[in-house]
Amino acid sequence: MKLFDVLLGRTKPAQPNLDHLFGLPGAQITLEASLGLRPTGQAGVCFKPATGQQFAQTATEVEQLLDLGENTKIHDESDSYGYRWAVITDDDFGDLINEVHVVNTTLQDHGWGPQLLCSVFGFAPIPGGAADPAAATGAPTVAGTYLVYLYKRGTFYPFVPLPVAEKRDSDRERLLKVTLAQDLSMEPDLERWFPLWGLPVH
Amino acid sequence: MMSTVFLLGLLYAVFVTVLFLVGVKLVFILVIAFVLLFVQYFYSDRIALYSMKGRIVTREQAPQLHGVVDRLCAMADMPKPQVAIADVDMPNAFATGRDRKHAVVCVTTGILRRLDEPELEAVLAHELSHVAHRDVAVMTIASFLGILAGLLTRVLLYAGLFGGFGGGGNRGRGGGGGAAGGQLAILELGMLLFSALIYAISFLLIRTLSRYRELAADRSGAILIGQPRLLAQALVKVTGEMSRVPTRDLRAAEHFNAFFFAPAFAKGVSLSTLFSTHPTLERRLQQLTELEAQMGRAA
Repeated sequence: MKLFDVLLGRTKPAQPNLDHLFGLPGAQITLEASLGLRPTGQAGVCFKPATGQQFAQTATEVEQLLDLGENTKIHDESDSYGYRWAVITDDDFGDLINEVHVVNTTLQDHGWGPQLLCSVFGFAPIPGGAADPAAATGAPTVAGTYLVYLYKRGTFYPFVPLPVAEKRDSDRERLLKVTLAQDLSMEPDLERWFPLWGLPVH
Repeated sequence: MMSTVFLLGLLYAVFVTVLFLVGVKLVFILVIAFVLLFVQYFYSDRIALYSMKGRIVTREQAPQLHGVVDRLCAMADMPKPQVAIADVDMPNAFATGRDRKHAVVCVTTGILRRLDEPELEAVLAHELSHVAHRDVAVMTIASFLGILAGLLTRVLLYAGLFGGFGGGGNRGRGGGGGAAGGQLAILELGMLLFSALIYAISFLLIRTLSRYRELAADRSGAILIGQPRLLAQALVKVTGEMSRVPTRDLRAAEHFNAFFFAPAFAKGVSLSTLFSTHPTLERRLQQLTELEAQMGRAA
């Protein structure tokens, strides 16, 4: 069939893999223990809107499904590349992962599966902790630490942008990759660790 | 452009026939043909980039372009090709390279200037679909098969003609004298014409294949970005702009049409559907409109 597809010039839209997200609680413990990082409580689901799909409708459904409590918020944003973000805020990391999963499966059920690009989880140094740059130098040097989940690959990669415009901390990213290798399947192909400048997740 | 490519191919076919007739061993001809195929296949990316004066750009040099390609590749789950920019004002884009790992996607500065971001993304999705469909490999092999078919016809004809004269080729050739020599020349001319005909047929078939694969890339690209309308917009803009650009620029790029997003036509060349590497704009727009309607209904 593969050869046949090549001859006919056919490709099937890639479907997302939603299961690996549940490795994140383990990663949370490792990050806190070894690097002094903890979740910021925000996550984003990034996807490409397609013709005829009413996001507003899907968003309403997602909100109903999540039965949002007082501490949970969801809003959507567009970025400069024409992708939409569903940004979720929840201080409980376990709940946050579940909510991201609900958003994913809802989007997939509505036929948005091939349109899913990635989801992003924000991490930050524990205030006053050993890893807090503000504690040592008095000024934050790291804009944020993110774990990006690639749906189509089923892998994660770290993204650490620097406050300087469009620069990333590659050393720190490599450190994160090694640290998390036991907990999550990290993306081995560094070419796929694309930067997400100006992402709406904190 | 077609006439040039056609004549070049014809020349190649005649050249091989002459080699064959003057007694160069078939094995040797096959070796030459395979070497040509090999070069075309393995160096397609470099040849194409070189002839279009495209240069590979790093992420720092073209962050926006890289960002778009990054995201499309992540959505389609394919390795990221190299990204190149050709300093040509003609608005166009092409993809080349024998497989996903050696692919290059190149856009001209002309297209960067004229298309807005979503349209450029649609064009890149079309080019990435060419890479995913392995179009360079398929088209290289297809055109090689055409040449091989021509060659095989000659071999069979030759064997049939000279094997059929009872005493075998050599005796027929040597013992015939003046009259037989004349007959032989006519036969050889006939063979030449016949192989030219075979070549012409395979040429048409390859063009048909090329048009089919353009439509396939349009379709996959439109599905990837989820909005066929944007690709249609880009097509209209690019083809409209292209006829407005001075003819000189277009001629320089003509031999390169098979790899392009939309072919460049110099003034005076009639747009023949039969010979064209790309389907007509109408055909492409029709497919995209149907796709747009389909996706609208599905939701």
